[in-house]
This record gives sequence, structure tokens and C-alpha cells, in this order.
Amino acid sequence: MEKAGLSCTIVLVKTTIIAFTLSILLCVGARAGLTWEQTQIELHPAVGDKEAVGHFKYKNTGDRPVRIKSVRTSCGCTAAQSQKEAIAPGDTGEVTATFKIGDRTGTQVKGVTVETDDRVHSNIALVLKTVIAQPLEIQPVLVYWQTGEEPKAKSISVKAAKDFPVKEINITPVNQNFETKITKMGNGEFKIDIQPRDTARPIAAVFTLQADASPKKFTVGARVANLAPSKATAVQQ
Amino acid sequence: MNTVSTINYQLSTERPFVWRIVDLIIGGLFIYAGILKALDPMRFAVDIDNYKTVPWFIGVRLAFYLPWLEILCGLALITRKLYLGGLSILAALTSIFIMATVVAKARGLDITCGCFGHASKYLSFAGHLALDLAILAALLVSIFSARKPSEVLPRQSVLFR
Amino acid sequence: MLKQTVALILLAFLPAIGEAIYYRHKVSWQSPVPPSETVTVDLARSWGDNAIWVDARPDNEFERDHVPGAIRLNEDRWNELLGPFLATWSPEKKIVVYCSTQSCNLAIEVARRLRNEAQIKDVFVLQGGWEEWLKKK
Repeated sequence: MEKAGLSCTIVLVKTTIIAFTLSILLCVGARAGLTWEQTQIELHPAVGDKEAVGHFKYKNTGDRPVRIKSVRTSCGCTAAQSQKEAIAPGDTGEVTATFKIGDRTGTQVKGVTVETDDRVHSNIALVLKTVIAQPLEIQPVLVYWQTGEEPKAKSISVKAAKDFPVKEINITPVNQNFETKITKMGNGEFKIDIQPRDTARPIAAVFTLQADASPKKFTVGARVANLAPSKATAVQQ
Repeated sequence: MNTVSTINYQLSTERPFVWRIVDLIIGGLFIYAGILKALDPMRFAVDIDNYKTVPWFIGVRLAFYLPWLEILCGLALITRKLYLGGLSILAALTSIFIMATVVAKARGLDITCGCFGHASKYLSFAGHLALDLAILAALLVSIFSARKPSEVLPRQSVLFR
Repeated sequence: MLKQTVALILLAFLPAIGEAIYYRHKVSWQSPVPPSETVTVDLARSWGDNAIWVDARPDNEFERDHVPGAIRLNEDRWNELLGPFLATWSPEKKIVVYCSTQSCNLAIEVARRLRNEAQIKDVFVLQGGWEEWLKKK
């Protein structure tokens, strides 16, 4: 009885090892068509860059030609295309993914799906990770008062990122309804005080913030608004 | 004279000490993994949703239940209470997880999280698969080496060993 | 072994249910976006003039068609488009952000930025997005 139990264990161990080896081979064999240099690319575009481009290079390490049927992206902000449609054995090529940065912030992860006629690996998921440098962190981007509220100054905090030394920030345009004052707090931190001249009627103002001579501009707003649910028309100055 | 009418299995107490080490490592691993997921059930729910195998309202309920099942099974391995039950559940969970990962990869889904949640995001797909298969192998071998057929009368079979 | 398996499966329900009760208000049980942050087309319509509709889609889709009176605010030109939005906004208004469908992330991202950067509280993502709005038109 014990011998039966022992041989059962041995059979099971052998089966597990075979299954293990087969799955590793499957992973390896699955790459026998197109082999990708990288399936995940991380980009660090400079401040002011409009686009970030990732080049996903591949080589056909199989013995049959591979045809790329389609290249799709997870977002309209990313465009991707393949250099070649048909890749002969031994041939190389690349899928270029262009991510439109726009005014996006933080780390953006976008997917590119490449569909091929390879039987084993018909769908390849590529990942384009873009770490967008944000020179200024502005909090909040909107300050507001209710009509009739005491017109005390409210502050917006501006922090420069560690890698972006900022000497000065400026706020434009000058607005007749709001006073603005910038205080340098040191360590790349600034405080912008915005104060309405009065809060008797609804008014709105939009300002542009810029650091030194950086091309990047930021928007902040100031508002005096009615709290009543009736239609409140704002006079934009 | 007693006649044996059934054969039951009970936990073998004659296994080499190395199995105790394996129990502690694997049990500890699942307790750690379970705690990580139990601390942030919403994030785990999003991870389950990424596999696109179950609808959200099922996935979110699984996200609350599975980590605790893992923790209890891990404790079962370490304390040797409900030991065989713990081993079999963990083996079943690991198998299902491996299958879901392979299917997701074949569908081209970007699965960046493994059974250790976001803590394992730096492992490649092959690395993940290798780790999970190794865990499954250890669990299966543990089950079959732990089960020793013993000739006992039905009323003597024990639940807790 | 079966009895042990069943015992563990049942035991695990206890802490799981406890945790679910603790998180019951913080978790979205039916959809990925918390219910407090989404709104149906019917409810958003019922808000009438109290709602500001925000279109998070790219410019070309907005120009093709959009909810009448909706303000464009997308991440492609966030800084440029934020100004007109801020000028229209007032504290009593509810913001309804939409993009193509429930699954597209654009509206969720715009809503998140309005909540975090502008610290506006009443921001909602439209369930089903533009497609749902068209269906109910």
C-alpha cells in the first residue's frame, strides 16, 4: 500500500515537471514567430514636448512569413502603425506608437494591440508608458466666493517639481476685478493670493500662469458666484 | 477480530522534516499575499476585472472573499489544522489563477499584476508563470505525499489533523 | 479532506462578510466607478439648468455632434479649455462629464482632474456616455 502511494507520488512529480517544462516551452515557442525587443516601453518626454514616440522593434525568428493584420490602440490619443505588413523570416521591423501628450499629467499607460496571422501568438499586447514631467503643481486651480461673502484673499499654492528649478512665476493678465499677489516661499514654492475687489455681483476671471521662460502655461480661475439655483450670469472680464 | 470495511486517508506523520519547511514557506507566502489583497479590496477588484472573465458585480465580491480564503488556508498549512483542506483549496486557486493568466495573455490583455497584487508588477509574464507553476507543483506534491492511506474504521477518521 | 475543504470555505465567509460590511459605503458593488460619482442620463436630464454638461471627447468628435449646450473639456487642450469652463461654472451646478461609452476613460480622467485640481465637489460621470444619451434622445 505504501509502495503504491510512493509510485503515485513519483508519477505526479514527473507529470508536474513535464507540465512545467511544456509551459515554459510554450512561452518560448510562442515567440517563435515575431520576437519583440521590448513589449513595454517607458518614455520620459521633456517639458514642452507635444508627443512621445515609442519604437517597438521586432524580428521574425520563425520559419514562416508573418503578416500584421491590424494595429489598434486603447485610446484616441495614441496612434500606432507598423512599418511593414508582411515580415519574411529573418526580417526586422517596428511598430511606432505616438502618444499625443496634450495637457495630460502624471503617468499615462496606453495599450497597443498588434494582430497577426501567427497561429500561436495572434495578438500581441504592447504597452506604452509615458511619464509626463509636470514642472508646476498647482492646487487648487479655482478659487471662488459667493456673492455677498467677505472679499478676503484666497490662496493658490504653486510647487515646482524637484527637477525643475523655478526662479519666478508670473500671472497674466491683469484683471480689474481681482487683485493678485505672488509670494515666493522658497524651496521652489510660491503662494498666489487672489482677492476680489467686491463680491456684490457674479464675476469670473481666468489667468495664465507661467514659470520663468518655460513654454508650458497653466490656467487658474477666480469666480464670484451666486449660490441660488436660478440662472446666474457671470460677467467675464 | 475487527474487519476493515473502509479505507480513509489521514495526514501522514512520518514525512521528512523538509515538508514542514515547505509548509511554512508556502503558508507564509499565501498569508502575505492574502493580507496584501485584503488591505485594498477595491484595487484587487479592479485587478480581477482586468482579466475580463467575470462581470464586475461578481469580481468585487470575490475580491472580498478570496484574500481571506488564502489567509485561512495559509494558516492551515502552518498550524496543520484543516491541513489537507487548505492544501487542496490553495492548489485549486493556483490552478485557476494560472489558467486565467494564460487565457488573458492569449487574448492580448495587459495583465501587469500577479497573485501578489501590485507588489509583483515587476515580474515578466514568463517569470510569473514560472513562480505560479512552482507553487502549484509544491502544493500538489505536498498533497500526495501527505496523504497516507490508513486502515481505520469510519468512526475513527478525524476532521482536524 | 472534503470536510476540511468545506469547513475552510465556510469559515472564510466570516471575515469576508465583516470586511464587506465595513466597506459597504465605500465600494461600488455594481459598476467599476463608485455610484456616488456616476449619474444616469435620466437623472442628469432632470437636473435641467442646474447641470453643466462637459464633453471629454477629442475635438473632432465634439464638433461632429455633442449634447446641446455642452462645454468641451478634454485633456488634449486642458489648459486652453479650462478657462471657458471655469467662467461658466458656479458652485450650485452639477457637472456631468461624458465621453463615448461607459468603457472609455476620458470622462473618468476629466472628472478626476476637476475633483482633484479644481476641488469641485459635484462632478459626475455619465453612465453609458454619449451613446446612452443618444439612445434616450
